[in-house]
Amino acid sequence: MRRFRLSPMGIVGVAMILLTVIVAVFAPLIAPYDPYETVRVTIMDIYQPPSALHWLGTDDGGKDVFSALVYGSRVSLIVGFAAAFIALVVGGALGLIAGYYRKLGGAIMRFTDFFLVIPDLALLIVIVAVIGPSLGNIILVIGLLGWTTTARLVRSQTLSVRERGFVRRARAVGASDPHILSHHVFPLVLPLMLANTVLVISLAILSESTLAFIGLGDPLLISWGKMLNLAFTRGAVSAGAWWALLPPGLAIVWVVLGTTLLGTALEELLNPKLIRHHLEKEKPLKVRPASLLPPKPELILEVRGLSVGYESPGGVLTAVEDVGFELRRGEVLGLVGESGCGKTTAVMGALRLLPPSGQVTAGEVLFEGQDLTRLDADSLRDLRWKRLAVVFQGAMNALNPVRRVGDQITEAIRLHEPSVSQGAADDRAKRLLQRVGIGPERINDYPHTLSGGMRQRAMIALALACEPALIIADEPTTALDVMIQAQILELLAELVDEMDMSMIVVTHDLGVVAQTCDRVVVMYGGMVAEQGLAAEVFASPSHPYTQLLLEAFPDMDHPDRPLVAIPGAPPRLNELPPGCRFAPRCPFVFDRCRTEQPPLYWAGESSAASCFLLEAPLQPVGDGDDV
Amino acid sequence: MSERTPVLEVEDIAVQFATSRSMFDGVRRRPVRVVRAVDGVSFTVAPGEVLAVVGESGCGKTTTANLILGLIPPTSGRVVVAGDDLAMLDKDAMRAKRRRLQMIFQDPYESLNPRMKVGDIVAEPLRVHKVPTDRADERHRVERALVQAGLSPPDVYWDRHPHQLSGGQRQRVVIAAALALEPQVLIADEPVSMLDVSIRAEILNLLARLASEQGIAVLMITHDLSTVAAYSHRVAVMYLGRVVEIGPTTEVLTSPRHPYTEALLSVVPVPDPARRTRPIVLVGETPDPSRIAPGCRFHPRCPRAFDQCPIVDPPLETVGTDHLAACLLNSR
Repeated sequence: MRRFRLSPMGIVGVAMILLTVIVAVFAPLIAPYDPYETVRVTIMDIYQPPSALHWLGTDDGGKDVFSALVYGSRVSLIVGFAAAFIALVVGGALGLIAGYYRKLGGAIMRFTDFFLVIPDLALLIVIVAVIGPSLGNIILVIGLLGWTTTARLVRSQTLSVRERGFVRRARAVGASDPHILSHHVFPLVLPLMLANTVLVISLAILSESTLAFIGLGDPLLISWGKMLNLAFTRGAVSAGAWWALLPPGLAIVWVVLGTTLLGTALEELLNPKLIRHHLEKEKPLKVRPASLLPPKPELILEVRGLSVGYESPGGVLTAVEDVGFELRRGEVLGLVGESGCGKTTAVMGALRLLPPSGQVTAGEVLFEGQDLTRLDADSLRDLRWKRLAVVFQGAMNALNPVRRVGDQITEAIRLHEPSVSQGAADDRAKRLLQRVGIGPERINDYPHTLSGGMRQRAMIALALACEPALIIADEPTTALDVMIQAQILELLAELVDEMDMSMIVVTHDLGVVAQTCDRVVVMYGGMVAEQGLAAEVFASPSHPYTQLLLEAFPDMDHPDRPLVAIPGAPPRLNELPPGCRFAPRCPFVFDRCRTEQPPLYWAGESSAASCFLLEAPLQPVGDGDDV
Repeated sequence: MSERTPVLEVEDIAVQFATSRSMFDGVRRRPVRVVRAVDGVSFTVAPGEVLAVVGESGCGKTTTANLILGLIPPTSGRVVVAGDDLAMLDKDAMRAKRRRLQMIFQDPYESLNPRMKVGDIVAEPLRVHKVPTDRADERHRVERALVQAGLSPPDVYWDRHPHQLSGGQRQRVVIAAALALEPQVLIADEPVSMLDVSIRAEILNLLARLASEQGIAVLMITHDLSTVAAYSHRVAVMYLGRVVEIGPTTEVLTSPRHPYTEALLSVVPVPDPARRTRPIVLVGETPDPSRIAPGCRFHPRCPRAFDQCPIVDPPLETVGTDHLAACLLNSR
């Protein structure tokens, strides 16, 4: 479960509300006078300025303003909480039903829409004026008018929860609708509903104050709105009695501010995406250099000592540690490992395409001689797409759903090469799409009309738009059928050859690496376990992890061979083992593995592995040596 | 295996949907297009047997699973589970039958409610079907299911939430929830495709063991022949709503008798760069099931099609012991 930690803004909000609640509960103890008591007043008592006797002066009836203020909090809070409760129950129930039952939902939502277009306040005033302004009536009307936003919110959340896998599974088990609603949908909708309720409370308090201010408050009760109403109508302004006007006004602001702060903080807590945006400006980099060796000319990409960390509530978690690899021009490199091993983080870190919580903490990434970790944002932007392009995982999310496929490619070309004319860019886009196997008749199609395989082809065409020198394919075939996977892999291999590019394929599939890559980097627990030429690593794997991974992978030339599972699971980032990352699952583990991290040792002609078993008689790989 | 009475019999089932028509289609007098998602599929599964159903997306394998589960009614044909035709059962009898037909879904990250504890997740199907007589009975059944699914000792997992489990453990919880109802037929829809390669074998082993030790009939649905190779007794290859080849797994994989099976086999990547082969990559994607080609439905993509293929729709014919294939090449 995510830890419940409110932002400072939320804590301030809670404190403000709590203070108000305490004042309301202990009003008789706090207030020096009882504002409901009838006392004899003389003209001298009216609109007296603040004094030791009356801290906030007196009002038009000669009564203590401070005491009225304290008692007034009771009405505001009662109305706020009670009305919000009504809104919550009515709106929540209708929202759940509307979201869960599609047909009925449509009708309910048209009804809600009807309420939404009527100006709340006008309706409120009319109804209260007709049925009479008693406290109960006011609560009822505010509550019944306030449910629409809750209903809409709950409905949209219900709509998304009802499509989740566990709801489908419950249905397949044979569970009834009431069971699914109460056991699966409601608990997941509840937190959002509560966050929304806080905001409904503040709206209700504001509505009550407004009603009382225009004279539609309960005549028997003192509320902040009514204090304002009386002060305004009975000459406080002309008497210059600011003390009768300002305190109730500020009190209203105080409560509404408190609830709004808490509500916003709760929403952010439930939906962390609200806090930071992916397009937010990059933080300045504080990167510790790994070495200061000059780049090697035959290499297109050289990654040295790359470490990446993610900010988390418990501190910075290291997702990638001391990863290094090199890529020659025209070569295909496979970055392979299980989910959570850091392969995508390593590549995205190298390209500085991490989500806002991630940051490169150490290392160098030399691309065509330039260190990407130290490049300013503008130069980096020039480089991206033109020299290095990415084929993202899940092509649907990476393509703009409301733009035609052809236009997106034309746009990419024109953006990076402004000198190219519209017509020339169109031609190039057409040729590219044709090359990746999308016929000219589909150039004007939208991404959602394409199949998964076609979208991936479009994504590849988009990546190739500016003829980059290096292309990074992140799980390019993961969600695709085997036949489509074969088509895409064949296409990528041809393109790398034709366009004289280099490519990095990030994948969990050893078969994909074996079929397409010249070089391979096997990652485990955020570190390199083994790397080298693919032919060598596959023929004689040196790291126990690589060996076991190969045994776990099916081989259709030996269909009868049962697969071998590696016991246990990959380590989580917050509980990385102190020694070798693979030690807890390794069948050859010995004491040293549990306490000390093994360096990379030469394991063959081209390959190196980080395992103590290779220590003797081979020598460790020194810094800067070829790997 | 086949001499035993099958617990699941699928007899020539077919299901057709009409494609949704827009108002303009009516105005333009376009005919209603009929999608034949499943078009005459027959097979049987015996207790203790694992049958793999393999095909690309759109071949009708998931629709077949939904037909067997009774989630959609077939247009024609019968699904018989333990002697009962599902179409003949009334609501109560169908509910009782549901207990014996359980499904394992693809995504173990999505198919567990994040707010529920493991014990409650596994107990839920029992509660829904009102199986346990009391708390102790429920506890006993849940513990037994957890142990059967390889989550032992059960107390360790009882109070955990899904996010505290690894992907493999989550899939075991899903399996335990299905096992709690003591099913006769278990349908596993891509049970390992979302799991890491290193732990796939665990889950596949578990399913194979449940079949052999408890006599459960397992239907394993997948697009990837390689994962089921060592874990199924028989395999049925589906293409556009039909079974085009069915037979003992080893035989189908070593000597396929349908060009589609051959192609599917060839595109499975071999984890060895030294054995890089040129796969038979079929052009295009699985065609639209509302526009099925005349004759053999595979002929437009078939690398070995000849003049008879667009004319004759080949039936499934015996090509070996228990081995059937629907291809004209076999009778030439």
